[in-house]
Amino acid sequence: MGQQSWRTDRKERVICSVIRSKFSFSMYPTKLNKIINLFETLPEDERRETLVSYADNAKKQEPRESEKFELVDVRKDEDCTDTVGVYLHVDENGKAHIRMTLGPEVQTLTRSMTAILCKGLEGSTPEEILDLPSDFVTRIVGTELVRIRSQTIYYVLTRIKSICKVYLDRQRVAQVA
Amino acid sequence: MATHPTQYAHPEALVETDWLEKHLNDDGIRIIESNEDILLYDTGHIPGALHIDWRADLQDPVIRDYISPEKFARLCSRHGIAPETTCIFYGDKANWWACYALWAFRLFGHEKVKILNGGRDKWKAEHRPMTREVPKYPETNYPVPKKRFDKEIRAFFDEALAQSKGGKPLIDVRSPGEYKGEITHMPEYPQEGVLRGGHIPGAKSMPWKNATNDDATFKPANELAKIYLDQCGVNPGTDTIVYCRIGERSSHTWFVLTYLLGLDNVRNYDGSWTEWGNKVGAPIAKSA
Repeated sequence: MGQQSWRTDRKERVICSVIRSKFSFSMYPTKLNKIINLFETLPEDERRETLVSYADNAKKQEPRESEKFELVDVRKDEDCTDTVGVYLHVDENGKAHIRMTLGPEVQTLTRSMTAILCKGLEGSTPEEILDLPSDFVTRIVGTELVRIRSQTIYYVLTRIKSICKVYLDRQRVAQVA
Repeated sequence: MATHPTQYAHPEALVETDWLEKHLNDDGIRIIESNEDILLYDTGHIPGALHIDWRADLQDPVIRDYISPEKFARLCSRHGIAPETTCIFYGDKANWWACYALWAFRLFGHEKVKILNGGRDKWKAEHRPMTREVPKYPETNYPVPKKRFDKEIRAFFDEALAQSKGGKPLIDVRSPGEYKGEITHMPEYPQEGVLRGGHIPGAKSMPWKNATNDDATFKPANELAKIYLDQCGVNPGTDTIVYCRIGERSSHTWFVLTYLLGLDNVRNYDGSWTEWGNKVGAPIAKSA
């Protein structure tokens, strides 16, 4: 009985998520939207597993040797427990490609968000990233894990937006000059 | 000059990583991980270890307080813990949350409690086994504790105020910057909403970290005695209250004073600076 109810509940959530993704206007980049929709269909235990799985893959978002970047922002500040590096490359089509490095003390959820955002924002323009509302973060992480010190889950997004803003500001200055 | 102890008052309250690895499958013990990093347990833990979340498992969701004795009994029963089970706590951040969970278990009168010396970081640094397998133990029927030991090991605002006014020992275990009122949160942590910075008048500053070595193990008894008895002026015959920001770092110091130095009458003011710093009518001090 309990299992049946769980299945029905999950089925409803999947259907709702599909409807939302197909028929409603999405303010999120397509790749990110897919990730959000995936998380919204997951029961709590699978959500945690998936977050951990993304955290495991955060290292894959580090810059590779051959890659070149327009902007690099590596720093340790008070909003995070260790150093976080953001690397931005914008290609000839104006699409952003983001890489990140994380210090060993960075918390698991921050690692998860790093992998999610690097994948989800891949190929978006800096303008799209800057305009991105932050409400999707809780849809990914879920209310169970948003609690005291929850600001850390927004930290990676803030840093990515920050580097995009610097890039766009520099572009504007260059155009005026 | 007083002679300082060369041994911990309750050495049995600590287990070493080497010992634990050899006793992972012992009957009568439960290994319990409690962390600040919410997902850390899910990334891997000591084989057989349970996870107790300081917030979701130990705190009442509506009132700022701990769970009821009934809920504590259910929590223990669900994890296969009986009153005679020895609970060995460990976690990240040099065992802050492990000590907090241990202190919460003591609030409900669970007596057999220990800390893994060095915590999760030392275990990992020594490349000891880790797993992602979540254990399942047969349920027990933990009896509902008859009372919560708030009076014995927990201090409330009014008691901390009386301690301050009476000039009795109060130890602020936060960072020097928090004590001075320069910041209202830990260095390297996000701002978490306290209106005023400073400390409780009369409190002495002794950051929790002074009790540990670089590998997160506890310092020897004689060094701890110098720090707390000599420098902080803690008197074994007098009530002592420790506090931090939300009570986790001060749980660490509470453990040191109670179990390693063997002091009676040490209480943890878990309301700590998030209560005191916001409280209407509460006096603060900002001296260095």
